[in-house]
Amino acid sequence: MFATRLRLRDFRSYERTDVALGAGLTVVHGSNGAGKTNLLEALYFGCTGRSCRTSNEREVVRFDAATTRVEVDLRDADGRAHELAVGFTPGDAKRLQADGVLVDRLVDVEMRPLVCVFMPDRLELVKGPPALRRSHIDHVIAASWPARSATRRSYGRALAQRNALLAGIRSGRSSRDSLPAWDAELARHGIALRDDRAAAIELLAPRFSTLAGALGLGAGAELRYRPRSRAADAQQLAAELAQRTDSDLDRGFTGHGPHRDDLALLRDGRELRSYGSQGEQRLALLALLLAEREALAEARSTVPLMLLDDVMSELDPDRRAMLAELLRGAGQSVVTTTDLAHVPGAAGAGVTRLAVAGGAVLQDAAAAA
Amino acid sequence: MYAPPIQRLITELGKLPGVGARTAQRLAMHILRASPQDAAALAEAIREVKERIGLCEVCFNFADEPRCRICADERRDAGVICVVEEAGDVIPVERTHEFRGRYHVLGGALSPIDGVDPGDLKIGELYRRVSDPAEPIREVVLATNSTTTGEATALHIADTLRERSPDVVVTRLASGLPVGGDLEYADEVTLGKAFAGRRRL
Ligand SMILES: Nc1ncnc2c1ncn2[C@@H]1O[C@H](COP(=O)(O)OP(=O)(O)OP(=O)(O)O)[C@@H](O)[C@H]1O
Ligand SMILES: [Mg+2]
Ligand SMILES: [Zn+2]
Repeated sequence: MFATRLRLRDFRSYERTDVALGAGLTVVHGSNGAGKTNLLEALYFGCTGRSCRTSNEREVVRFDAATTRVEVDLRDADGRAHELAVGFTPGDAKRLQADGVLVDRLVDVEMRPLVCVFMPDRLELVKGPPALRRSHIDHVIAASWPARSATRRSYGRALAQRNALLAGIRSGRSSRDSLPAWDAELARHGIALRDDRAAAIELLAPRFSTLAGALGLGAGAELRYRPRSRAADAQQLAAELAQRTDSDLDRGFTGHGPHRDDLALLRDGRELRSYGSQGEQRLALLALLLAEREALAEARSTVPLMLLDDVMSELDPDRRAMLAELLRGAGQSVVTTTDLAHVPGAAGAGVTRLAVAGGAVLQDAAAAA
Repeated sequence: MYAPPIQRLITELGKLPGVGARTAQRLAMHILRASPQDAAALAEAIREVKERIGLCEVCFNFADEPRCRICADERRDAGVICVVEEAGDVIPVERTHEFRGRYHVLGGALSPIDGVDPGDLKIGELYRRVSDPAEPIREVVLATNSTTTGEATALHIADTLRERSPDVVVTRLASGLPVGGDLEYADEVTLGKAFAGRRRL
């Protein structure tokens, strides 16, 4: 599944735009403020119904416009055409359509393309707190095995219930009688969540090491799961929870379980979040996203669309060449850059170039093919 | 916008489950157009159900006498109790024709977030029923919903019964019900299978 065209109306700086995308690598280039990131965001918006840039989605509607609309044409593995469309008027529910049919959520649409995004602020995934990495890996789980996306939600619900009960016991409103039942229920989902995460990381880890090597991060790059609990089964995890009841009651919340897991990105055994340089952290994030693309391609037999914003800055010429080669190698990707020369091979055949200026796309003649 | 009596009707209708503002308006308009007899019959039916229907003194199912029809029915197996969250869950189980015992309606599920503790449900009443020597119980089937709250409720009751009444067999409906599913929405065949394949806890 890949995107063939993107049509925008009143999205960010674009009034009306219709662009053809390449089946392989597309390079969006232009000066600062030209509208490159806006175009990438629009593609994400059209594929997912959400912004990858802001949680205040009214920002995406062009100044002075009331409504925005994004349409994405797609072609599936059998060559059949599909269309996704997102219409959005701030204050109203979004109008999401798949092949002309209104749907509640695009994530439920079978034919929608999976999307992996690199944005400079996503470096937080490498540098930031563990919660970001947990929720990221849980997204990978949901994308790889849609049926398992319920596990995180169930775990979250059981955790909230147990914490509410702890608060009730602390304040003397509730008795401890039902605590073992909530321990058992929390442990049941906790073990399921931990096993899902372990399985996802097992898929990603070897690919991560290989890709990190190919991106010039050296041979010692490693992705490792750091589960909070090593319990063999739900019963054992429930016992671990029971052992910690007193300290949980002191604190007022549950201190043990997969909501305290972490995912470590290491090089030669050391945390990249603490010891990695800017460029190394960037490469690690790219290796992680590319590993996910490969893993998802295998699990869902469709190669996710890669959206990479401003990825080449801060990389040296050798690393740029390595990344460009990986991107040209397989699947569809869209890269933005202020300078076409920062994407080695961008001038070559099979690469689509889109020059952007003042909220308009000046399509490269060769791209229309 | 509307005259106060109409607005009040819309507000009351809007409190019904699954009825949004729009539907409430449509229903209110329908009632306004209806004949006085039809409207009075609806009002009377609502009044009567609240006046005549109470809870069964044994199982807390709906009843128009001190005991519900199922508890009053001598042909039902008094040795098996099926525990459900709400009175509305009795009907789907009855429809499967897999179960010939009696019921116990908890009146909800454990949910600390909503302040629902064991003491807020008819759980103590269940323990008393199970340990009553006048009517020996062989099996308790836990048919609470397969949601987080329903599962925790089942676990809690199972734990306590194992301690208090070790001779009673405690079973849980076989999985196969949709995860997070309400009994109320399960179809007969699925629910029937879940009943037939119940497992011991
Ligand atoms: N809702 C909106 N309506 C109109 N214009 C907008 C809107 N939101 C952002 N813009 C404009 O879009 C421009 C920025 O576009 P964009 O972020 O795509 O730039 P860019 O090409 O990625 O630049 P850089 O190279 O600096 O990252 C800004 O000039 C901003 O004013
Ligand atoms: Mg930008
Ligand atoms: Zn009864």
